[in-house]
Amino acid sequence: MITLNINKRTYNIDADPETPLLWVLRDHVGLVGTKFGCGVAQCGACVVHLDGEAVRSCVTKLRRAQGKKVVTIEGLSEKNDHPLQKAWLELDVSQCGYCQAGQIMSAAVLLNENKNPTDQDINYAMAGNICRCGTYLRIREAIHLAAELQGKEISGK
Amino acid sequence: MLHFSALAKFGLAERGIDTAAEWHEITGYIKITPDNVIKIICPNPEFGQNVMTSLPMIIAEELDVDWKTVVVEMGPHDNTKLGPQFTGGSNSMRMYWKPLRQAGAAARNMLMQAAAQSWAVPVEEITTKAGEVYHEKSGKKGKYGDFAAKASGIPVPKDVKPKDVKAFNIVRHSQKNVEGSKIVSGKPLFGLDYKHEGMLIAMPVHPPAFGMKLKSFDASQALKMPGIKDVFTIKLYEEGFEQGGFDTRTFNVVLAVVGKTTWQVMQARKKLSVEWEPAGDTKDTMQGRGGKREVIVPSELESTEKQLEKMREYAGKPAQLLRKDGDPEAAFKNAAQIIERTYNAPFLAHNCMEPMNFFAHVTDDKALLVGPLQAPGWTEPTLSKVLKLPPDKIEIQMTRMGGGFGRRAYGHYLVEAALISKQAKAPVKLIYSREDDATYGIYRPMYTATYRAALDANKNLIAFHVKGGGIPENAVHPNRFPAGAIDNYLAEGWEIPSNITIGAFRAPRSNFAAAAEQSFLDELAEAMGKDPIDFRLDLLKRAKENPVGKNNDYDADRYAGVLKLVKEKSGWNGAEHRQFSRGVAAYFCHNSYAAHVVDMTTKDGQPYVERVFSAIDCGIVINPDAATNMVQGAVVDGIGNSLYGGLTHKDGVVAENNFHSYRIIRMHEAPKKVEVHFVQNDIDPTGLGEPPFPPVFGAVANALYRSTGKRYYQQPFSSPQPEKPTV
Amino acid sequence: MKKRLFAIIAMPVIMIAIMAFCLDTTNKKSRLITAKKDSIASVTAFKQVYTVLTSARCMNCHPSGDVPLQGDDNHLHKMLPQRGKDGRGIYAMKCANCHQPTNTPGLRMPPGNPNWHLPPADMKMVFQGRTPRQLAKQLIDPNQNGHKDTKKLIAHADDGLVLAGWNPGEGRTLPPMSHAAFKKAWLTWLNTGAYAPAK
Repeated sequence: MITLNINKRTYNIDADPETPLLWVLRDHVGLVGTKFGCGVAQCGACVVHLDGEAVRSCVTKLRRAQGKKVVTIEGLSEKNDHPLQKAWLELDVSQCGYCQAGQIMSAAVLLNENKNPTDQDINYAMAGNICRCGTYLRIREAIHLAAELQGKEISGK
Repeated sequence: MLHFSALAKFGLAERGIDTAAEWHEITGYIKITPDNVIKIICPNPEFGQNVMTSLPMIIAEELDVDWKTVVVEMGPHDNTKLGPQFTGGSNSMRMYWKPLRQAGAAARNMLMQAAAQSWAVPVEEITTKAGEVYHEKSGKKGKYGDFAAKASGIPVPKDVKPKDVKAFNIVRHSQKNVEGSKIVSGKPLFGLDYKHEGMLIAMPVHPPAFGMKLKSFDASQALKMPGIKDVFTIKLYEEGFEQGGFDTRTFNVVLAVVGKTTWQVMQARKKLSVEWEPAGDTKDTMQGRGGKREVIVPSELESTEKQLEKMREYAGKPAQLLRKDGDPEAAFKNAAQIIERTYNAPFLAHNCMEPMNFFAHVTDDKALLVGPLQAPGWTEPTLSKVLKLPPDKIEIQMTRMGGGFGRRAYGHYLVEAALISKQAKAPVKLIYSREDDATYGIYRPMYTATYRAALDANKNLIAFHVKGGGIPENAVHPNRFPAGAIDNYLAEGWEIPSNITIGAFRAPRSNFAAAAEQSFLDELAEAMGKDPIDFRLDLLKRAKENPVGKNNDYDADRYAGVLKLVKEKSGWNGAEHRQFSRGVAAYFCHNSYAAHVVDMTTKDGQPYVERVFSAIDCGIVINPDAATNMVQGAVVDGIGNSLYGGLTHKDGVVAENNFHSYRIIRMHEAPKKVEVHFVQNDIDPTGLGEPPFPPVFGAVANALYRSTGKRYYQQPFSSPQPEKPTV
Repeated sequence: MKKRLFAIIAMPVIMIAIMAFCLDTTNKKSRLITAKKDSIASVTAFKQVYTVLTSARCMNCHPSGDVPLQGDDNHLHKMLPQRGKDGRGIYAMKCANCHQPTNTPGLRMPPGNPNWHLPPADMKMVFQGRTPRQLAKQLIDPNQNGHKDTKKLIAHADDGLVLAGWNPGEGRTLPPMSHAAFKKAWLTWLNTGAYAPAK
């Protein structure tokens, strides 16, 4: 039995410690926001935060997550109002939507570490997230908007 | 007849709407509660083109409600009430425009009649506005919800006059994706997310190569693995089963591993001991207009090298005549100059982000299937035959799809899920891994086309010849531009049968034809000393004023319209754009017109499309911002596929089985800007999923020429180009 | 009194004797470390070392640019992860986001190590494109080799990440010789004077 801290809640997981965190989340915990796209760390649909870092849950084992804080798209914000979520809706980014949770989770780490990312920073940060529908331009714009919204929130405007 | 799907219940509860509320159905698309909550049913399943927003918008407009009060729900499979329910062919808007306007207008009419009856006044004195009903004479007013119950009993009127298209409040105004907030908060939406009490997970094991089949297997180790319930084979079709166009399946016998969790099943698969053997020649029976016909599926384990050789061989043989105008042979004989070029493109895999999957719960007397599917109406008859259940005992619910691109029109994976559930005697979700999906087939075919043009001594274009081939079919559209604009015209086609299965891939055939043809026209323009856009406009002028032949499958004015618009918006010959290498292309397919100017630079030594200008004519644009998103996405998809996409085979085995080897365009390769312009007109809307895609390939090839001085004939353009652009 | 004088004189003598003995053993150790300077043996050994350090398993994480290399053909690592200041990647593309503490099983899955990283931006320790002479000189220069003295250089042969080169995961070729053979060549090179080849 492995205890996990996911989105500030405690879960007792009865699974092989070698199970990738992705399948623990989807099959055992029932959090299906984190998606399966490739299983080989190539597409980014499975990105979650492990102690604030954007790990690929399809290759990250359950035992690596033990004792760490796991945050999934469902727990990124209390009321689904993270600046990225707001920006994504403001600019109507999604087409099919399957990759977007992973995109947002990757972008969240970018915005944590860089309050004012350039297009180049965004390219570096997001090169690992595939969007088959081609919404990259909107994702880029939404990250810029989110940075702006985040700036306003921080300064209390 | 009220209907709830399990999915819908979840959605409504989520929104804080009491699922036990009293819904009154007014036509099959609209349900209204006494509290004036307006629910609109979307008939067509969603895969990212946002029909879930735009189709309900059409109804809401004619119904005359406040869009903010509308709740949208994905409809169940019900072709009687909800129409063909086929998402594909860029046809949703086109097929549903009139019927949905009628549905909305009729419902409004029924509500007005109900109010008139309740107030005992003539219906002609009733008006509506945004979900409210008025009788101005007496000052009476009420909400739609007040009259919903009564309205639902009124017979649905026919031929109600819809609104003037210039008076739209909802349509032609950008509305946000109705599922947007669910997407960004990780709510269960997709087939892969669907859960059912007692559900088991199944994964397939299919042969490792096209042309192979199962010989034997030993599951003893796999069955010992934790969580595993069973391992068995399923057989999709019995011998002689008459397949429809969308019943394509690559492997008729497949192994299934069934267990409790996905990871457990993935691990157990690795412990299987399986022997495969060549399948030999097999036979498929296909339905056809003239009765059934048998198709031999060849046995060869194909390799790309050999396929290219075979295509070269076939290109030199006589082909099927598809169209002939004038006397092309004579024209070529008398030509002062002949330009001949050959273009090639590989198989492409759809690789939708969400791998193939479907849930099935099959018992002796009924079946429930839930998951991502483009056309339930096409798979239900097959399920009925295979499961030996009448269609009214088969319920198919469509979830949101993580991408479609044509792949999910082929319902083999529903048949597989159903057979597995039946055998396992349990509800089962069938999941494909990315490798299972990428190597399964139903690809975009491998194509080639040789174009020849004859010029006279004054560099006039006097003849045009296209001979196109492919494995297993060619991409020639004989009646498309420039047919109709050239006196002497010849189109021929040939094909090589194969056991590699193919299917519709975003703008089938067009996605290659546009690339080849638009590159060739660019070379012709250069040889003739003409500007590429003006050259095309000249040809279109001829096609309009003095067309050749009768069966020309395009409107020359509208085709010219998008070229003119893109010329204007891109500042085509402007000095300020000299820093870019510009390529242009235009195409008409799936009922809409598209033209792109691609501006290329170099980034880190690689060709980079920095910006694109797009001009589109799809008639009335229902949801402008969503339409812009579609065009931008098609442009990015086109750049990615033209530069990087491609599948190769070695002895029947697909080499590119995941994203480390099958290259998909990424963020840093996407343009900085894609500026989209729509031709403004009031023509009935046509689609947008496919039309913008094909000309991108041609525009990229043409930009590459300006950038590198070399012409690109072999897709993907990042691969080594042939020395000579001939067969 | 004579006894005390004897003790006073004897103590230092004994101490000196002990010290002499210690010095003697230290000399023996030094003889082990710098056996005998032999430029030919040293350069010969380094040529072996060079083949290992420029093989894919080592060179891929010692690139000349800021993107690691990948595969037996040393192509730029797909998705272009960037070195970053500390060599551990940046933003959502940090090495440890995909590279786990151990190899992920399967063909073309990310190889793993608890300390997966590139050299930091201020000391890139580039192997790619280095001639044997350049590399040899770089390796023994503390200002270019991660501040390693001879002792640390010797120990580096058994560093966790170095050893990982010989446990690369399915489908990746091993360096051109065993770790034991590499270590022998490495030590020989260092012990015989760490000479740089002429070119």
